[in-house]
Amino acid sequence: MRILVAVDQHPYSAHVVKDVAKLAGNTWADVTLLGIGPKMTNIDSPSNKSGEKNPLSKTLQNYRRSFLKHFEKEESPYEKRTCKHEFIEVKRGIWEELYVCRGARKDLKIVLRSGNPVKEILAQSHEDDSDLIVMGCDKDGDCQWKGTVNLPQKIANNAACSVLIIKEEKKIRKIACCLDQENISQKSIEMINQMVTLYQTELEIVGLTDGSTLKPLVEKNLDAILKYYKARQIKSWIKLVDTTSLELFISQEARRSMMALWMGGQSILTKMFPRGKVDKLIQGSKSSVLLLR
Amino acid sequence: MLRTLVYLDADLASSIALRYACQLTQVIDMKLHTVHVEEPDNDGYAPGTGWVRRTWENTMLKTGELEIAQLINAEKSSCPKLGAPKMLIGDREKEILREIQRESYDLFIEGSLHSFSAKKFYDKIHSRLYRLISCPVIVVKNLVNIDKIALIVRDEIESKKLVSIFLKIFKGAKFKLDLIYCEFQEPGKLAFKGKKEANGTLNAVEEFLMEKQWHPEDCRTIQGSPEEIGDVLRDYGLVVSPLHHSISKKSYWFQLLSHIPSPILICWQ
Repeated sequence: MRILVAVDQHPYSAHVVKDVAKLAGNTWADVTLLGIGPKMTNIDSPSNKSGEKNPLSKTLQNYRRSFLKHFEKEESPYEKRTCKHEFIEVKRGIWEELYVCRGARKDLKIVLRSGNPVKEILAQSHEDDSDLIVMGCDKDGDCQWKGTVNLPQKIANNAACSVLIIKEEKKIRKIACCLDQENISQKSIEMINQMVTLYQTELEIVGLTDGSTLKPLVEKNLDAILKYYKARQIKSWIKLVDTTSLELFISQEARRSMMALWMGGQSILTKMFPRGKVDKLIQGSKSSVLLLR
Repeated sequence: MLRTLVYLDADLASSIALRYACQLTQVIDMKLHTVHVEEPDNDGYAPGTGWVRRTWENTMLKTGELEIAQLINAEKSSCPKLGAPKMLIGDREKEILREIQRESYDLFIEGSLHSFSAKKFYDKIHSRLYRLISCPVIVVKNLVNIDKIALIVRDEIESKKLVSIFLKIFKGAKFKLDLIYCEFQEPGKLAFKGKKEANGTLNAVEEFLMEKQWHPEDCRTIQGSPEEIGDVLRDYGLVVSPLHHSISKKSYWFQLLSHIPSPILICWQ
C-alpha cells in the first residue's frame, strides 16, 4: 500500500501524521509526506524579509521525525541503510565475510511541491500511484485547510484513489461502513479492517434494503463480511437502512461515527451521493470520513 | 431443561439467530428445536386437492428442507446437539403459534436484523404471533458474545414478573448482570447515576435478585434520549426488557428497544 499524506503547517496536519504513523506501523505502507507551498524557485532562498528559509521545509522535517518516532529504531521498516561486515553463505558450507549494506524495507518520501494545492496533491497521488490520500482539516467550522477553500472536499471528489479526511483529535467510537453491497472488493474490506485496528473501534456494516428486504446477493455478501470481521475478533454490527433513508442515516450517523463509504465506479453510493452531498458530509461530519475507491 | 424453539428461514437473520442460540446452549441448560414454515403462495392457498396438493406440498417442503439443512449443517460443529428441523407448511405466524402451544416451549428465538427504521420492529411487536405468543421471545438483531446481560427495569410491580421470567430462563447460569433504570430526556445530555444514587425500584429489584442468589455487578440509572441509551446498551450481549403488547410507536420505551442493536429478551407483561 502507498499512502500520500498531504500536510501544511497547522496543528490538524501534525495530528494526521501521528495517525498515519500508526496506520503505517500496521500495514508497512510506503509513505509520502507532501507539503504544498506557494510558488518558489529556490527552497534555500529566504522566503520572507526576516531572511528565514522556507518554513514548510522545516515543518516537513519535523513531521518526518514525528512519524519515525512511532517506530523502534531496530524494527522500523523506514530505517535508512546500514552497512557492516557479515558472514554470508556463498556456497553450500562456505561462508565469506562481506561488506553488506541493507536498505530501508519501506519507502518514506518527503516531498515539497509549490503551486495550486488541489492540482499538486492529485498530481503527486497520480505519480506515486497512491492507494490512499490522507489529510486533516480544521476542527472548528466546516473542515477547511487554512488558506485554500474546500481543499479536502475537492480532493475527496477528484482523487482516483481512496481518501481519508481525519478530523482533529476526535475520539472515534464506531466506524459505520456503507460498502457496495453487490460488488465488494477485498481491498475495501481490508482498508476498513485497518481503520478498525488503527482506532480500536467497533464496526457497523450497513445493509441497504429496497423496502424492508435485502437482495439475496447482498444478504450473502453481508454474511461473508460479517464472518470475515468476526474471525478477526472485530466487534461488528449489522444495520439495515432503506435506500430512501440513506441520506438521513448518514447525516445522523456522521455526528457520532466515522463514516466509510464505498464510492467506486460501480457503486450505488456514487449515484446516490453526488459531489455536493460528499462536500456536505465532509463539512458536517463531526468525525473522520473515509471514501473508498 | 429449557425447551426452546428457534425459527429458521434460509436467510442471514436466521443464521445469526441460530448461532446466537447455539451460544446460549453453552451456558444455559437448554434444548434447541428448530422449525421452518413454507408459506404456500401470496394468497395463502395451495393449488388443487388430493395427490396434486400432496405432491406440491412435498416438493415445497423438500426445497425448503434443503436450504434449512444447509444452515443447520453450517452450525453443527459449534452446536452438535442440533437436530433436524421441523418443516411445516401454511401461514408462518399461525403455524409457529400452533407449534409453541402443541409442544409447550419455554422460549422462542428468531432473528430480525437491526434496522435504522423503527417500523420493522414495531410491526413485529404488533404481529399476530407476538400478540398471542405464550412464552418470552429473544429477538436476535445482531450476533454478539453473551458475556454480560442488562436487565432494564421500569417499576417495581412489573419488574417482579420480569425477574421471575429471567430467573426461569437463566437458572443456574453464570453471567455478569447489570440492573439498568432509564430516565428519558432530550438528546445531548447523556449522564449516569451510580449505585449510591439508585432509586427505590432499582434497590427493590436488586434485593429480590439477591434473595435468588443473583448478585448484579452494577445498578445504574442512565439519563438520555432513547437513541443514546440504546447506544450504551450495545455493550451487552443480551438486554432483558418488559414489554406491553399495547406499546405505542411514539413511546420512549419502544424507541429505546428499536435502537438497541443487541439481542433483546422480551418478557411480556
